[in-house]
Amino acid sequence: MVQFLTVTNRKGGVGKSTMAVMLAHAAAAWSGRRVLVMDLDTQCNASLMLIGGERWEKACRSGHTISDYFYDRFDKVAEDESAYVVNNAGDVARARTAPGAVSLLPGSQRLEDIQGELLLKHSKKDLDADAVAVQVRGRMKRLMRHFGMDFDLVILDCPPGLSFAALAALDLANHVLVPFRPDFVSQFALDRVAMLIEGVETSEQLATIPLGKRRYSCLPNCWTGDGYERLLIDQLALDHPLLNTRIPLLASIARAFDWEETKKTIEEKYADALPHLRELHHEIMGAPEPRARTAHA
Amino acid sequence: MKKETKALSGASQDAYFRRVLKAHPNLSAAERDQIVRQLREEVAQLRLRVNVHGDIAASPSPPSTRASQPAAAIPQTAVADATLPFDPYSPNVVVVVRKSGREAALAALTAIDSTENLRLLARQQRLNFDADVSSAAEIRTAIVMAAERRIANRVAAAG
Repeated sequence: MVQFLTVTNRKGGVGKSTMAVMLAHAAAAWSGRRVLVMDLDTQCNASLMLIGGERWEKACRSGHTISDYFYDRFDKVAEDESAYVVNNAGDVARARTAPGAVSLLPGSQRLEDIQGELLLKHSKKDLDADAVAVQVRGRMKRLMRHFGMDFDLVILDCPPGLSFAALAALDLANHVLVPFRPDFVSQFALDRVAMLIEGVETSEQLATIPLGKRRYSCLPNCWTGDGYERLLIDQLALDHPLLNTRIPLLASIARAFDWEETKKTIEEKYADALPHLRELHHEIMGAPEPRARTAHA
Repeated sequence: MKKETKALSGASQDAYFRRVLKAHPNLSAAERDQIVRQLREEVAQLRLRVNVHGDIAASPSPPSTRASQPAAAIPQTAVADATLPFDPYSPNVVVVVRKSGREAALAALTAIDSTENLRLLARQQRLNFDADVSSAAEIRTAIVMAAERRIANRVAAAG
């Protein structure tokens, strides 16, 4: 059964796209999964990491991006959506023995505009703006869910902030991964995104949900392990489920996302970051299937 | 191997207790602080074993340490820790306040005598206070108040 893993944080620069792509490679290479990365971020970094600039531009020109998909299919019944998907994405060679592969629904710089257009198009006199927004979100969620038929794992790489697509991705998720940098402002970002994910309005309401029952887990990224970071982690662990994995600040991770046409093994690509990726993959993919969300459906 | 011993008392003895207990993640910060306080009352001086080269006479796995154990039962494993500098990240004041309240946090800080170390802890944990606070007791109170402000700030920012 397909799993939807949403990678999000309202704060930018925390490694959402990086973690989404790393996990996609790991799930394909080590779990043999057919993985689709859905790039919901108008920066399109995950797309550029997975298919490079030229293939991404080609997808934009031919109208095969996430924004085209939403716009073209918004009012239509579901049909074959494979034209929007770029297969054989990523620069990690497929293992001969494993069926896993990475595909991409490319991101688009127009996604925010398209969301605005859809909102206007579906505004009606008898509906207030909130009701229309809920409708647009709901439709986006159903359109995203449609890809579940062809893949084992769909990773939704969200933008910072709260677009309709990002909110729909949160609704759809079986589990939400929240990468963060262990610094002062990140704790505020975690508190806010946690309430959003759990569908509560106050920190008091959030506190009533046991950590083990939360739909999300938090991943410290760019970890140096200094005393202040450890201090913050201990404080955050009181309020949020934290993964044991810590992704360190490694040049090899930054280098891994220089697009290269030549395929390589996952070991070659991630070099000394590999043990950390293995640990992350084990924690995310090896975890029992989290409960699905029904609110805002 | 020939062994020598090193005497610890006062702040270095407290630091040693804290290091030993910190190796036991099953103990909460408040529990660790309680044990340190008890040991401090009961133990006047410690003699720890080091070898002739000044290396650590450490064994690989630290057994559990409980408040009821006499100081002599504390394992040799943490001799190295006793020689480490003051750890300004312990106790994690915000965590102690959140989990056990302000009195527990104040009690935890009483294990630190030196005003220099208290100031260092405050700086490193970003628990700042007015420069005119001078006595150890005042600094401890100021640190706990800063931790409470920090917690309130976070709650407020969550909306």
